[in-house]
Amino acid sequence: MTDLRTIPVVAAGEERPSGGQGNLLARVFDELTAFCRSRSLFMLHYCTGCGAVELPPAMTSRFDMERLGIQPMVTPRQADILLVTGYVSTKTLKRIILTYEQMNSPKYVIGICSCTVNGGMYWQSYATAKKLNDYLPVDMYIAGCMPRPEAVISGLRELIANIRAGRSDYWRDYYRRYDHYLGNQQRLFGENWQTPTDVIAEARHYGLFGPETLGEHTALLEQHQTPLQPFEMRLGLKQDKGSSS
Amino acid sequence: MTPTDAPGHDVTTTLDFLLQEVDGLRTRWVAPRRLRVDLPAETLPALLELLKGRAGYVHLSAISCVDWPDDGQFELVYHTWSYELNVLVMAHIRIPRDPGVYLSIYDLYRPAAFFERDIHEMFGLWFEGSPDMGKFILTEWEGPPPMRKEFDGEAWVMEQFGWQEYRPEWLTEIEAKGGGISKRPEQLRGDKGEDGTA
Repeated sequence: MTDLRTIPVVAAGEERPSGGQGNLLARVFDELTAFCRSRSLFMLHYCTGCGAVELPPAMTSRFDMERLGIQPMVTPRQADILLVTGYVSTKTLKRIILTYEQMNSPKYVIGICSCTVNGGMYWQSYATAKKLNDYLPVDMYIAGCMPRPEAVISGLRELIANIRAGRSDYWRDYYRRYDHYLGNQQRLFGENWQTPTDVIAEARHYGLFGPETLGEHTALLEQHQTPLQPFEMRLGLKQDKGSSS
Repeated sequence: MTPTDAPGHDVTTTLDFLLQEVDGLRTRWVAPRRLRVDLPAETLPALLELLKGRAGYVHLSAISCVDWPDDGQFELVYHTWSYELNVLVMAHIRIPRDPGVYLSIYDLYRPAAFFERDIHEMFGLWFEGSPDMGKFILTEWEGPPPMRKEFDGEAWVMEQFGWQEYRPEWLTEIEAKGGGISKRPEQLRGDKGEDGTA
């Protein structure tokens, strides 16, 4: 039993080296960054379920998300928001995690629809992951089945306000408590689960290494982790093994 | 093949006449263009060959599977369609649940490989002669075949995922007025148990 309120809130700005108590200009700069960040959000909508139906009206002229500075984006590497719209099957969850880890920080995850909260109408399904925040740090849930564009927009406005105030910092949580998230992922995908992104090294690099970044699950990962190989490029058609006309 | 749209021609008589050639089958017209055929499992290939060769049943729409745990049987339904007769023929067979092995009809209908692989994954049946019985849709699945009746999906979910309480304010407001969830999941489960069959 998890309660939504037990999602740990990492206090913003506690580990910023250039927090600048003395330097007023740094504060101003931080404020400016937060403002700019909150007003230009590129959104990668991972349309997993029926909730995606409500996004076109939210994006287009009727409700017009773009007046809030939110635009759809086609690649994870250029996106700020990962919008998970609907039920997340175990198979899809793998792809979502891969997508999430490719995104540049700061990144925000929004779970739309009841299904991302606790499985929704699929709560009995063997193939659907129930709690998105077990596997990824979720910044905001927009519940509903499905939430109307008004609800989506009001949720996004709240996210904007959170970013503006520096409250939406859950992406740091993924680095700080990577062991927790990895443990839940391993529970679902098996012990051999490995993503192409080296989250631990990233955490070290960005100074987000926390006491819970490493643990028993990351130890398990290190046992079988294979170093990343560059993709081999192949041209030409592959021979089908079972094809006969 | 004679044009069956000609006036005075009755498709039903054509099919009924044709199906007399296979022994041990019972036919029932469930609708003007839907024919249900029940037959022993061993005569199914003969029926399909007859339909495909003599009545233009070139299209295998689907193979569906039903689990009958009380009878200890699996029911397989082969849905075939003829573009000449425009009649759907549904061939029902029953096979014992215990070994759960049946013949593949891949040699007759190539799409059967797709359906058989799916049934193998969902029900654990084995189709002898099917080209590939590997993992298909549930690539991340290690548990028992999930569509079998004895598989308790809810227990699996409880063990695997746990439950997240979600009680927003608006729901408590509704519940204070007497609304909210009318039937709790526990009650639903209780009802299911009383019926005996699920």
